[in-house]
Amino acid sequence: MISLRSLGNIDRKIIFAALFLSVSIPLIFDFRLPNRITKEVRAVYDFIDRLPPESAVLVSFDHDTATLPEMSPMARALLRHLFNRRLRVIGLALRAEGSSIGNGLVHAVAAEYNLQEGMDYVFLGFRPEITSAILGMGENIARVFPKDFRGVPLDEIPLMQTVKNYRQIELIISIADDDTPNYWINYANARYHEAVVPAVTAVMATTYYPFLQEKQIIGMVPGLKAAAEYEQLIGRPGDASVGMSAQSIAHLLILLLILIGNLSYLSARRRR
Amino acid sequence: MRRQIPVILCFGFGAFMLAQFFVPSRLSIEAYEMVVDWTQTIYVFALLVGVAGMIKYHSEKISGKKAGYFYNLVTLIAVIVMAASGFIWGRGESSPFDWFFTYMQAPMQATVFSLLSFFVASAAYRGFRARNFEAVLLLLAAALVMIGRVPIGDYIWSGFPKIANWILDVPSMTARRGIFIGIGLGTIATALRVILGVERTYLGKG
Repeated sequence: MISLRSLGNIDRKIIFAALFLSVSIPLIFDFRLPNRITKEVRAVYDFIDRLPPESAVLVSFDHDTATLPEMSPMARALLRHLFNRRLRVIGLALRAEGSSIGNGLVHAVAAEYNLQEGMDYVFLGFRPEITSAILGMGENIARVFPKDFRGVPLDEIPLMQTVKNYRQIELIISIADDDTPNYWINYANARYHEAVVPAVTAVMATTYYPFLQEKQIIGMVPGLKAAAEYEQLIGRPGDASVGMSAQSIAHLLILLLILIGNLSYLSARRRR
Repeated sequence: MRRQIPVILCFGFGAFMLAQFFVPSRLSIEAYEMVVDWTQTIYVFALLVGVAGMIKYHSEKISGKKAGYFYNLVTLIAVIVMAASGFIWGRGESSPFDWFFTYMQAPMQATVFSLLSFFVASAAYRGFRARNFEAVLLLLAAALVMIGRVPIGDYIWSGFPKIANWILDVPSMTARRGIFIGIGLGTIATALRVILGVERTYLGKG
């Protein structure tokens, strides 16, 4: 019979195999659970939904490829909402890898809506030194990005002829896996009073709750769960909705492992 | 002079940026825009120094055939191939750069990051023990947030998401605010020390 003490020594290979199965089975069988919409995600959706058509929204891809499975579903859901509302998207990146990620995603989602580059959306590319890039765009975007990602001068792009700085931009969304949204909040919001939304990884979420409570940000899209909620709100369940089911089972497994580990520990301590 | 000139420059630019914020005149805005442009340019040179340093470090390891020099070689080849493909064929869609990025760099980085979850599961099982009162509190908070932030938690009991949100909104946020205030005060103090030349470690040992 298996004793409580022996349960405290489960081989790590068994734990790895159990986690692999708990993640892969829901993904293979497309098992989905409904998500309750949180107030911070609803606030972002409502704000975007209220923007007049043709409003300009800046989307900054401030993350690298390591977190792509978590970031790309939320970026896709947000872009789909923006393009579906016929809002004009200005994409850019303040992290080097974000330029290739953002360029690919913006083009792919814009193609779903038959939108035209330069008229309905533009991708500006990457700029280093976050603080000066954010502050510089507050005065003149063309000074920070003289050309877009393709190398076309900004004054030749129809969309950018009416958008010169933050005054013509209604919302900034920073899709990030680090503290880059802090810079957007500290400089674009505090100095230029720009509406900011952080769309961040789940582990970064707690950083932004104080800003949310103080209304320095409109709302927040934290982690895969929020991405799944956003997919639900726009009526297009995708990778995040499936991923959340896998995450649900993985969380249950980890909780079970913690419980087993503690029962074994308490049993051993009582014996001593 | 090697130490005095950077300190004078630092004081001049630091004091100017501080004063400029409160003087919204055309002249001060133009000067401010120029400083912002310069910062971008200087940063690009800093990147170049970083790349040159990295190439030098790996080249030395390869030429000395030090342990694991094969990995240094792979790193150097990757840097050269990515940079060359970007310069020659551009970075647009369907370019070799885009192909390398999408089908090599992205899956490799995502794979390495995904491995973390396996170690987290194993470490949680072995290390997350209710050894004392504080550990029990941490354990309970973590367990409730973990179950309350996934749809299955809501499915099991609708109270789990509410408890998880309360933990995030109240105790977690309180701690965060304290940390933020500390960071803010520390940043102001450090900035003033740098501007006034009290803090000079950024100049190095020379």
